Amino acid sequence: MTRAIALLSRPIAAIPDARRRQILIAVLTVAALAFPLLHDNDADIDAAANAAAYATLALGLNIVVGFAGLLDLGYAAFFAIGAYAYGILTSFQVMPPWSAFWEPFAFLYLVERLQQPGGDVVHFTVSFWIMLPVSALLAAFFGVLFGAPTLRLRGDYLAIVTLGFGEIVPIVVRNTDWLTNGAAGLNGVQAPRLFGVSFGVDALPYYYVAIAMVALLIFVSIRLRDSRIGRAWMAIREDETAAMAMGIDRTRTKLMAFAIGAAFAGMTGTFYVAKLQTATPEMFGFPVSVMILVMVVLGGMGSVWGVVLGAVILQLLQSWWLKDLSEWLHTLGAAIGNAWLQQIDLTRAVELIFGLILVFMMLYRRDGLIPATRKEPALNFEQQHAEVRRGGALPLAGLGNSDHGGLDVRGVTVRFGGLVALNAVDLTVPPSSVVAVIGPNGSGKSTLFNVITGLTPAESGVIHFDGADIQGLPPHELLRRGIARTFQNIRLFNNLSVLDNVLIGQHARLTTGPLAAVLRPPAARQEEADARIRATEIVSIFGNRLLPRLAQTVSHLSYANRRRVEIGRALASQPRILLLDEPTAGMNPAETLELAEQIKGLHDLGLTILLIEHKLDVVTRLADKVVVLDHGEKIAEGTPDEVRRNEQVLTAYLGRGTLAKATADA
Amino acid sequence: MTFGDLLLQQTINGLSLGAMYALLALGFTLVYGILELINFAHFNVFMVGSFVGLWTLQAMGLSGQSVILTGLPLLGVMLTALAVTMVVSGVLGVAIERLSLRPLRNVRGPAAMITTIGVSYVLFNIVLLTAGADSKNYPNPLPPLTWALGDAVLRLREVLIWIVAVALMLALHLFVQRSRLGKAMRATAQDPEAARMMGVEVDRVIVIAFFVGSALAGAGGLIFGLYYNFTSFIIGFTAGLRAFTAAVLGGIGNVPGAMLGGVIIGLIEAMGSQFIAAAWTDVIIFSILVLVLVFRPAGLLGRVAPNRS
Repeated sequence: MTRAIALLSRPIAAIPDARRRQILIAVLTVAALAFPLLHDNDADIDAAANAAAYATLALGLNIVVGFAGLLDLGYAAFFAIGAYAYGILTSFQVMPPWSAFWEPFAFLYLVERLQQPGGDVVHFTVSFWIMLPVSALLAAFFGVLFGAPTLRLRGDYLAIVTLGFGEIVPIVVRNTDWLTNGAAGLNGVQAPRLFGVSFGVDALPYYYVAIAMVALLIFVSIRLRDSRIGRAWMAIREDETAAMAMGIDRTRTKLMAFAIGAAFAGMTGTFYVAKLQTATPEMFGFPVSVMILVMVVLGGMGSVWGVVLGAVILQLLQSWWLKDLSEWLHTLGAAIGNAWLQQIDLTRAVELIFGLILVFMMLYRRDGLIPATRKEPALNFEQQHAEVRRGGALPLAGLGNSDHGGLDVRGVTVRFGGLVALNAVDLTVPPSSVVAVIGPNGSGKSTLFNVITGLTPAESGVIHFDGADIQGLPPHELLRRGIARTFQNIRLFNNLSVLDNVLIGQHARLTTGPLAAVLRPPAARQEEADARIRATEIVSIFGNRLLPRLAQTVSHLSYANRRRVEIGRALASQPRILLLDEPTAGMNPAETLELAEQIKGLHDLGLTILLIEHKLDVVTRLADKVVVLDHGEKIAEGTPDEVRRNEQVLTAYLGRGTLAKATADA
Repeated sequence: MTFGDLLLQQTINGLSLGAMYALLALGFTLVYGILELINFAHFNVFMVGSFVGLWTLQAMGLSGQSVILTGLPLLGVMLTALAVTMVVSGVLGVAIERLSLRPLRNVRGPAAMITTIGVSYVLFNIVLLTAGADSKNYPNPLPPLTWALGDAVLRLREVLIWIVAVALMLALHLFVQRSRLGKAMRATAQDPEAARMMGVEVDRVIVIAFFVGSALAGAGGLIFGLYYNFTSFIIGFTAGLRAFTAAVLGGIGNVPGAMLGGVIIGLIEAMGSQFIAAAWTDVIIFSILVLVLVFRPAGLLGRVAPNRS
């Protein structure tokens, strides 16, 4: 049996990956288009159209939850907004008195004049095809409106706020009778028309519209995912602080995810109401938000094809499988005379099944049915044991850019409660120099880096870079101005590849926006291609350490290689000054030496470097100037040799007793 | 009724609701303080607790409001119902932690929160499928004693609810502040890693937090039934969200804050439904939630939660 499968799968395996994907997509497309022709059952086509509508919702939520990692529990609210927007503008719910004001709208077929005994009124008759994009925009607008104040919050708070928001919308709908007809729901919603023919209640045209929407949104999702925008979302999801430090505007990026996800839902809302020709507040409550979440979780968070599969499975479960299964049980019950079996109704247990899916997927298969990231095979023996090529800094464009006024820190003080982490520290880093900051643990070195890169606010003092006051600027703006850093405890985007990490480093230097990401005009294509070449060039600074591992997930790399990726990521941002926080920590002597040489190479190109380092041989080798911190104060500054002879420094590092002994020995 | 009496009446109602929300909010706060996890399962632990109370009272031969007890029998029945409800709810909370949350302890991201949503759904639907969708008449053996305060009415059940709630909260406060385990709990909330190194059994502390929090939610569920004379499978969601708002308002992770927040939310609900409109109560409460989170995430009494990233 296994041999037969192996034999059969061999020709499939021989087809290249990309080609296999194309074939699969073609087969799926043909199947989706042919389904109603082969299976002429209106109820089933209707169920399939619903499944497709839910697939579009799942695709939208996937952008928010899967790509950007923002748990939105009120997603159905945007569905409701799109639904009611269409419902109100095509039904007889709101009918203001007719006046000349409406003439131009009537001319555009957006409204019509209804003759009524009490005076003529306006009947809104906005076309379905106009409302699709309008609802998308409206929902996106509400996404921004509700997202703007809440997206600053920690992830778990965001979940509860969106849940609250998701509850508020149906309540408002229920309580504003004049606009929405309250709990009774909107009725008489107009069916879409195409070339003068109404869709009516036949499921077939809705099915094809839904399939077209799914295809469109899959396309948009994939284009976004593989772009600068998608990478920024995933960076935020993986590590918000590191993402900000790498030039990603946190609020803007999150809002974009929220708005685009909402737009998908708004569009689907319009479709759904046009199909049902009615809308009630119950259609958009918390259970709907959870159902969409279950689809995303089942299929795989972040996996475009996965969430579509999840939506289809859950819809089929609800409309077919549970019913069939219940009927089989009834038949079985009748056959063996069991009354309980004959009464069982599994469709009532569908939410129980949702709950179980959430729990079991989280416990046993968090990546879902179709995981978003495919595991790259590890390197083979030969690749792993290839002779190390040292690499070195090539004169890449933008690297070693030294036409700036350097960094100037004056009197910076930072306090954490009662603890003074930095006390009036001064530091100057002239252009094209290497300055090392040393000091015992807890002396304030990393705090100094955090202040310079905008992660920790300073209580007082001024920081200038290239002559401009930069204090108080957000981290992403500082990176844009050319201040890039690495972190002491490595903060990479762990579930992304080496290539993606380095590409995210270029975020601030690239310009592709969401629209260009989807449409991919030649300029965007070129920019992406250049960015990839550049990433490869930067990685080659580290010889063949990273080059063969470009497609590997960084969490699978060795510690030293992760440090190299982090430095590469910082270099990708074309820094004018590079802040390295203990770059050689955790490396063996040979690796340390190798990295020191590579840093030296960068310096030789003219790159300005500020370095925290414990290994004094590295400091001596690289630094033009050494600054010593102890208990948040600068206790010494000078060339490596001067600092090494400084008594205060010896005391700080070794304690007084040792100093006395050292002096006595001398 | 004069305006003053109306205000007094709604204060009485609000304090009773507030006592219930406070008990529920404490469970959110205890778990959040230690695990930084919003436990959506807590919503329906409260609901299950309400049903456990119902079944316990029924098992003791009470049904509806027909049987009135006084004196020692009343005390015995009420204490038994309270004890059984709290223990069963507490065990349920511990089971949820052990089976579904402990395996995810070190998983980053929203996995644990999504799991609690799933667990909440499971509880909700198990009760729906076994007990049915209709709301249940809640046994209430309390004698219909009332005191008139002007036109406002104070009933015995309200006084008892206050006594029980205050006693439980006082016990919790003493437990957290004075006992060895309470100290371990506070240490774990500050820094689980450091607490572990100092010999605190973090797993045990978490189990205790779930037990205590869920037991209090169970007590809240019993109070719900006694106060409204009914219970149903749907009560968890709204009450849970309001109680969560209370926890956030008071400062999540902060025990006295949860109590204060509960009382405030209870009063807002009572006043809102009297002076604005019951239909808008939840909009008001959720708006408070959003405003507090946006402008004062530390809540009324809380400190800013340390960002453990």
